[in-house]
Amino acid sequence: MSLLVFALVLQAQTFEHRGFMEFRGLGFPQTTINDSGHVVGESLLRYESSWRPKPWLKLQSGFDARFDTHRQFDRELRLDLEDRRTQRPALSLRRLSLQAHKGRWTAEVGRQFIRWGKADILTPTDRFAPKDFLNVAYSDFLAVPATRVTYENGADTVDVVMQVRFVPSRGPLLNQRWATLPSELDGIAVRDRGAQYPGGVQTGARWNHVGRGYEYSLMFYEGHNHLPLFNAGLESLQPLAIGVQRYFPHLRQYGGDLVVPLRWFTVKSEVAYYQSKTSDVDEFVLYVIQLERIVGEWTFVGGYAGESVTQTTGNRLLFAPDRGLAKAFLGRAAYTIDTRRSIAFDIAARQNGKGLLARAEYSQTFGQHWRASAQLSLIRGDESDFLGQYRRNSSAALILRYSF
Amino acid sequence: MNRFVVALFGTVVLAQDARQIVEEVQKRSRSKSQKYEGTLEVIDQRNKVSTKRWEYARLGAFGESRSVLRFTSPPEVKGVALLVHNHPDRSSDQWMWRPAIERDQRIALQDRSTRFFGTDFSYEDLEERDVNQFDFKVLGEESIDGVACWKLESRPREKKVSQYLYSHVWVRKDHYVYAQIEAFNKTGLARKIKYSDVQNVQGLWTSKVVEVFDVAKKSRTVLKFEKLQYNLTIDADLFTLQALRRAS
Repeated sequence: MSLLVFALVLQAQTFEHRGFMEFRGLGFPQTTINDSGHVVGESLLRYESSWRPKPWLKLQSGFDARFDTHRQFDRELRLDLEDRRTQRPALSLRRLSLQAHKGRWTAEVGRQFIRWGKADILTPTDRFAPKDFLNVAYSDFLAVPATRVTYENGADTVDVVMQVRFVPSRGPLLNQRWATLPSELDGIAVRDRGAQYPGGVQTGARWNHVGRGYEYSLMFYEGHNHLPLFNAGLESLQPLAIGVQRYFPHLRQYGGDLVVPLRWFTVKSEVAYYQSKTSDVDEFVLYVIQLERIVGEWTFVGGYAGESVTQTTGNRLLFAPDRGLAKAFLGRAAYTIDTRRSIAFDIAARQNGKGLLARAEYSQTFGQHWRASAQLSLIRGDESDFLGQYRRNSSAALILRYSF
Repeated sequence: MNRFVVALFGTVVLAQDARQIVEEVQKRSRSKSQKYEGTLEVIDQRNKVSTKRWEYARLGAFGESRSVLRFTSPPEVKGVALLVHNHPDRSSDQWMWRPAIERDQRIALQDRSTRFFGTDFSYEDLEERDVNQFDFKVLGEESIDGVACWKLESRPREKKVSQYLYSHVWVRKDHYVYAQIEAFNKTGLARKIKYSDVQNVQGLWTSKVVEVFDVAKKSRTVLKFEKLQYNLTIDADLFTLQALRRAS
């Protein structure tokens, strides 16, 4: 009886949920120095819910449960609240936040997703959005524990964020194929020596203006980069081993973005200046300009991501996919065949000709709940290039998803 | 000369009549707000049926309104939303919210002819049509499903950017509601919209079934209105970009 009453109370107060179960099979024709596997199987159960006890108050939560055949995912069945470990957790709190809204003000406290920026193919101003790069070609966003206050006044919105605990992007595992080790290290053990996580808070503010036929934003960030640098040192001579430790440099960032729909294309642009107090970090500008157009059932996005280094330290011990995708031409074409089927093509080609990532995907829904997708990824290039270093990681994938 | 003046006068009277008819349609269907739950059946040319559901809310009316439409099923698109700000003097502003990536996306004017999320509605079809954004003329009188109608032609005015060059509009004489619209683009007939199951809801005659036929795709979408309500109190805060994020 009490359960029924509870359920009725929840119903009255608006409880919503959604999620999916996904199975992914990846096949890699080539092996790498540190990974002899050809096939990887992954599964993910994602459950998200929201409960609105009052019209102005909302509790949002999300949980992930994962398993894989390649031990990229942890197998310890404990709920990971931090998402800081090198392996993807088996059970993780994807989000848990409380949102309150009054008039023009919205405040959200807790683990949440914060997305800034307007570009699609590279978003340098998307500062509170660390990613999971266990598979560099298919990364996923991670939530951050933060307080976010938003003030909206007509066409203007001001967003202030204070992230109370640092969340790093998750890099590739050293014993897996996406951590590419130079051939000179063949036979030398490389050991993970953990990470030095910065304390303190990360803060940022963004002002967004929606004009008549255009939108733009300006942003500022003070904190640390969620992408790591590495300290490397000799661990032992017999057997020969190197230890690698991650650290996360200070980052101050100024940036902006712009959307202008023109007669033939929508122009989207984003630019950010990266500055740091950490001594061995480059200072540079990342920018993106992209054109977007929908023609019938086709969607086209094409653009250029550029980088201009204003001060270099020559430090090469870093993992920086954002800079790795810069100085590149990027494009996407998607075609909706009918209400159930679609195809998409993506390409990223470095302007130096030393790196190329091309992907094709076919996707089809079955009934109200099932979707099957087939993906092909081709990676080519030179070992010295960010994309080219993954040239042995071309793959085929089959994905089956049940949404509920 | 006299004949010319009479012909010109006749044209002006007919044009005024057409405008007066559409103004009467707007007057009789005017409400300060609206809310409904819609069930959409998309039937492709091979008769495969897919079903979607959305919730719709509007505040204001005809050219000075804001609306938000949010999918509630199937599960894969649950939470996807479209925010529309209609303006009296120009085309609307539209933003799409995708919860999977937690970002909004502005829908550019040149992209409004695209089909909206696998339905046969284009983004433009989800705007409100305000009488002042079109020129009208009477083409004649015809019956649709046995009901006497005026047949009008509407052409968008210069400030209104539209995929359609002109439309033929049938207005029922009994209740001043639309019975059918045929919308033409540069290649000919693009969409045919049919309104049926006309009911009196809170004093407003309303079609509770709208069927859209995409001529090129040979696909049709049937939208059925459920839990339809007019003139409710709806918070204006629900029709902003931040509201899209809050509701996701």
